[in-house]
Amino acid sequence: MADKKIKNIFMQGPIPAGFIADSIQKHSTKTDIGAHSIFLGQVRDDIIGDKKVAAIDYTTYEEMALEKMQEIREDMFSKYALTCMHVYHSLGKVAAGELSLFVFTSSKHRKMAIEACEETVERIKAELPVWGKELLEDESYQWKENK
Amino acid sequence: MQINVIIFGQIVDITGTSAIAVEDVTDTNQLVERLATAYPALKSAKYAIAVDKKIVKENTVLSNNNTIALLPPFSGG
Repeated sequence: MADKKIKNIFMQGPIPAGFIADSIQKHSTKTDIGAHSIFLGQVRDDIIGDKKVAAIDYTTYEEMALEKMQEIREDMFSKYALTCMHVYHSLGKVAAGELSLFVFTSSKHRKMAIEACEETVERIKAELPVWGKELLEDESYQWKENK
Repeated sequence: MQINVIIFGQIVDITGTSAIAVEDVTDTNQLVERLATAYPALKSAKYAIAVDKKIVKENTVLSNNNTIALLPPFSGG
């Protein structure tokens, strides 16, 4: 594992919809792909007490997160017949309605792509050292916790 | 022996800083006790300890070359 290049997955601020479109477009040259599966996480304006969540401010323990993501990636490639896999996660402030997570798996057939995508999302939520601070309308905050 | 600890998320709200040095601790159990004495609110806080980027569940012997991190529950995605 040490000899492999560790990919960065973090992006400052929200993930633009155009970035996702470009990412899909880039796969048109990989003609052995028959199925893509995409998960997009969007910041929700939950009501905390009587205030709405205006944004989430994400922080991470980057070295550990990238190492863990590499491990998840390797597990997915050995478990599923994937052609490729891309993951992007926001850091910093992402407003309600904006995207904070983009998981993109591609395979010859749909089943592998869909299952790998779902498993990757679940593992990211459970295993990546990333923290979301929910910033409320009145500038108070609370720390998010994944269920 | 001095152990450097890096701190993340809501645990920083308790410690007020994202890096602390703790003197004379030899293992993670001792570290938890010392931290709880210095910051009583940590006793009721949920966090995991990572030694060199791996979460440890059992008591673990520390050396000053280790990178120790306090990790509150994850909330990415």
